[in-house]
Amino acid sequence: MIGAEQRLSRMGAFGTAALCLALAVIPFLTTTTSLRQASQIIVSVLAVLGVNVATGYGGMISLGHGVFVGVGAFATGYYVDDLSMPWLLAIALGAVTAGISGALVGLPALRIKGIHLALVTLGLAIVFRPLSKRFPSITGGVSGRSIDARFDAPGWWPGDSRMASSVYRYVFCVLVVLLALWATWNVVNSRFGRSMRALRDNDTAAAVYGIDLVSARVTTFAISAGLTGLCGALQVALVPFVSQDKFPAQESLVIYASAVVGGLGTIWGSVLGVIARTVVGKVGDLVAGFDGLGPVGEFFDLLDDSAFVFGLGLIVLTFLFPGGLAGIGRKDRLRK
Amino acid sequence: MAKATPETRLQPEVLATVTLSFVMDYVLLLQRIFDALFNSAIYSSLALALVIIFRSTGLLNFAQGEMATFSAYIAFVLLSGPQPRLTGGGLAGIIPGVPFTIPLAIIGAVICGMAAGAVTERALIRPLGGASDLALVNITIGLLLAVNSLMAQWWGTGPRFFPAIFPTGAGQHFLIFGARLRYSTVGVWAILLSVLVLLVLLLRHTRAGLGFRAVSISPSNAELVGIRVGPTLMYGWALASGFGALAACLSANSVLLEPSMMLRVLVYAFAAATLGGLDSPKGALVGGLIIGLSQTLIPAYVPFIGFELSVLPALLAMVVILLIRPAGLYGTKRIERV
Repeated sequence: MIGAEQRLSRMGAFGTAALCLALAVIPFLTTTTSLRQASQIIVSVLAVLGVNVATGYGGMISLGHGVFVGVGAFATGYYVDDLSMPWLLAIALGAVTAGISGALVGLPALRIKGIHLALVTLGLAIVFRPLSKRFPSITGGVSGRSIDARFDAPGWWPGDSRMASSVYRYVFCVLVVLLALWATWNVVNSRFGRSMRALRDNDTAAAVYGIDLVSARVTTFAISAGLTGLCGALQVALVPFVSQDKFPAQESLVIYASAVVGGLGTIWGSVLGVIARTVVGKVGDLVAGFDGLGPVGEFFDLLDDSAFVFGLGLIVLTFLFPGGLAGIGRKDRLRK
Repeated sequence: MAKATPETRLQPEVLATVTLSFVMDYVLLLQRIFDALFNSAIYSSLALALVIIFRSTGLLNFAQGEMATFSAYIAFVLLSGPQPRLTGGGLAGIIPGVPFTIPLAIIGAVICGMAAGAVTERALIRPLGGASDLALVNITIGLLLAVNSLMAQWWGTGPRFFPAIFPTGAGQHFLIFGARLRYSTVGVWAILLSVLVLLVLLLRHTRAGLGFRAVSISPSNAELVGIRVGPTLMYGWALASGFGALAACLSANSVLLEPSMMLRVLVYAFAAATLGGLDSPKGALVGGLIIGLSQTLIPAYVPFIGFELSVLPALLAMVVILLIRPAGLYGTKRIERV
């Protein structure tokens, strides 16, 4: 087991280098629009990472993490516009707000476990949209709200074109995401991370070893929701508009599916999950462009919908590679 | 108590209006209860589907709603035949003799739904063996996503009109104490109860039913006495999916047929099943009744909730039940060995 982790970390170092290189090259190659899209994709790693912390490390199945994306987004919009906070503070507080809401959800999770928790969080995902419509002063009600403040480049940033601001937002998002990945990696490998995993594998045994179940579960859920909320906060910084119809229950399920497909219980899994979602979406767009293929074309149109591919992916991977994409190579290594 | 002064004594006409308003409220309350009964039947039958599967397989089928919706679309295809939007929808062209009549289409959909349920058990659940909760959640969530997006692709995301099986026009109701009890409500309950009677007869008086009851209580012991557990579970899934298909077909007229129509209903049904006890069919029925009533009555008397947010009380009820009495009203308590 230890050997496997060491080898994985060598592979991980290579992967990190490749990823950083790719991230550094992207802004030189694209337009403002596609740079924004790239930023959005990168930011979505955080939501998947949040699910990974709760489900993969904490063992608490959460089907409702779209809710925390929503809380983070709405809260940031509210802080920056209605309370005129500076952006950095608003983003941080947005993530904290989501984290607190996560802790509140984590409280019932002390008693409700496994499949029942999955049920409750699914209910939460479904109730979020109608609930957010009840607070139109914060959420903008049915039609959503656009945020007046813009997250633009500060004075010291070179250049003042639209592109320069786009690059600034992109770099900011990349740095925040990398920082979050690094911090999460540290947390899950700390003493607290070990107690999280002990809880996941056998909570009674963990309690016997002196782990405080209450604080560990609530903290895990708070961290998880905070990461996911950070995703929502950055989304608002990228596109200053937030609306309840961005957070349907299916979105929560796709986030969950991305985490599982990428691989639960590894940091890399979350990155891989988002890469897979992006690749699937792009390939689907390409293939859907071909017409006149008859029934075959109909099938390819299905591939265009990442929910379909991820639904199938969840089923197939559960059978073939329970460790997700990140676990494909690892299975053999563990067997040695 | 001091003697009532003339000012505070109720005048006759005031008394009359107060009584009248009470009577009106009473009629309104009865009307709301009658309205709620329709939804109650739907929630009960979907909850029953969930309970049958949980009881026998020990998993919550998150895809139950989408599987049911798929059956309702099959009924829709059987009813309307090939339509422009359905070309390439795959199914329309190969079904002979469309369009069907409504009851025939629903029966056809229920049969298709049962077959789909049996195939799901055989192909996706049985090979997993006794896998972890996580694996089972992944499979059913995967199924939910895939089927939902399949339906959106084939039939579009827009709502479609699904004809009612019972007359729902303006005058189609019984008048009871001034409240209207719709024929459709009576009809839905008649269908649900007669199917339930059939189910009870099946479980009590047939060999397959006996086998199913044995497997629900203890799969390993059932296997020891020679019951083939796999096929029995497959029948259980078929039965459950049949109930789900029935629920979707009966409610498709009032909620309009669309790919995600059962997602909200699924939360109500889960709340109903949790309330009644996840392994108790009787509980599913009672839970469906209670959740259906509360879904109509709470928004009516608590303005904040409103119609759209009526999922919230159901969700809260589910959380509270899971927190203080996980076995529900009629469920058996689970004892875990550590």
